[in-house]
Amino acid sequence: MNIIVMGCGRIGTQIATSLWQEGHRVTVLDTVPESFLSLPKELRETEGATIVCDGILEEELIDAGIEGADVFVAVSNRDNRNALAAQRAKHIFNVPNVVCRVGDIERQEMYNKLGLSAISPTKITSALILEAVFP
Amino acid sequence: MYIVVIGGGRVGFFLTRALFNAGHEVFIIERNSRRVDELVQHFGNVAIKGDGSEPIIQMEAGVARADILIATTGADEDNLAACQLAKHRFNVPKTVTLINSPEDERLFELLGVDVVVSSTQLLLGAIEEELPAHSPAHVLPVRGNREAATIEVPQGSPVIGKRLSAIELPPDTYVVAIVDRDGQLKALNNDTQLELHDEIVAVTATDQAEALLEVLSNGR
Repeated sequence: MNIIVMGCGRIGTQIATSLWQEGHRVTVLDTVPESFLSLPKELRETEGATIVCDGILEEELIDAGIEGADVFVAVSNRDNRNALAAQRAKHIFNVPNVVCRVGDIERQEMYNKLGLSAISPTKITSALILEAVFP
Repeated sequence: MYIVVIGGGRVGFFLTRALFNAGHEVFIIERNSRRVDELVQHFGNVAIKGDGSEPIIQMEAGVARADILIATTGADEDNLAACQLAKHRFNVPKTVTLINSPEDERLFELLGVDVVVSSTQLLLGAIEEELPAHSPAHVLPVRGNREAATIEVPQGSPVIGKRLSAIELPPDTYVVAIVDRDGQLKALNNDTQLELHDEIVAVTATDQAEALLEVLSNGR
């Protein structure tokens, strides 16, 4: 599958790397070129696998191959950017599978109600920690 | 009406002033604390510091009872998030946003933002009004207060299909050559017919150049 991962922090790196190891075609976007250093060498040296941009403009997404993408994952550290890019991917480019990271729990629930698959690391992490403290 | 403005920059500032003058109750959410101080100094206690796309800040600003929310920050993603939150979490009846990237207009409208104002489109619109409506002409000054102009016959021009002799040219105007759309020179006589995309080379008095453009583009 063709997969675009927006944001190459810890989460983005983890997602991109495992999908790539499973044999998918992965394109990773980030505004900071150095952030790609966390990707496996072979992946980051693949032609077109990394693009320096914030991924919110249509043009940038087209360059990243969004028109032929099966999956779009927005996991940068900026909630609003993720939400905008994900909604653009879903509604303008009709990407079949769009997932978006939204830290704020209330907004994550709001986006879910609007039909956008949003995941809150805050919610998941705190739930896991609470479970570890009070099993 | 109660109106909440996100972003107290230049647009937010003047908007707030205009809304106040029109008798509305206005509250501003602004990220920069220095700017908040300036706004408070100017308008009184009607601004808080914070991220206008955070639920807790919108709650504090009383967005739940707002009639309108207007997002004016320089980042389209922040404006969209603020409008969506206001609309879907706080049920604000009307959300308005400024956008910087024209392509966002379609998406934001699709996502339920009620009014989308594109600063780029506004500027383009203002400029287009200043530009003449006819096709671009290239003009070269010629001795004796004359100009040599090349003008392409545009779509919808009333001269299309007419014979040269049937066209009422402005005084002191001479057609010296006509080149068709394939780059071939047309033989010039009274029966020469004008066609779409013909390029006309004419010499005219400087003060008649506009009139010539009018005749060839829009008719009169």
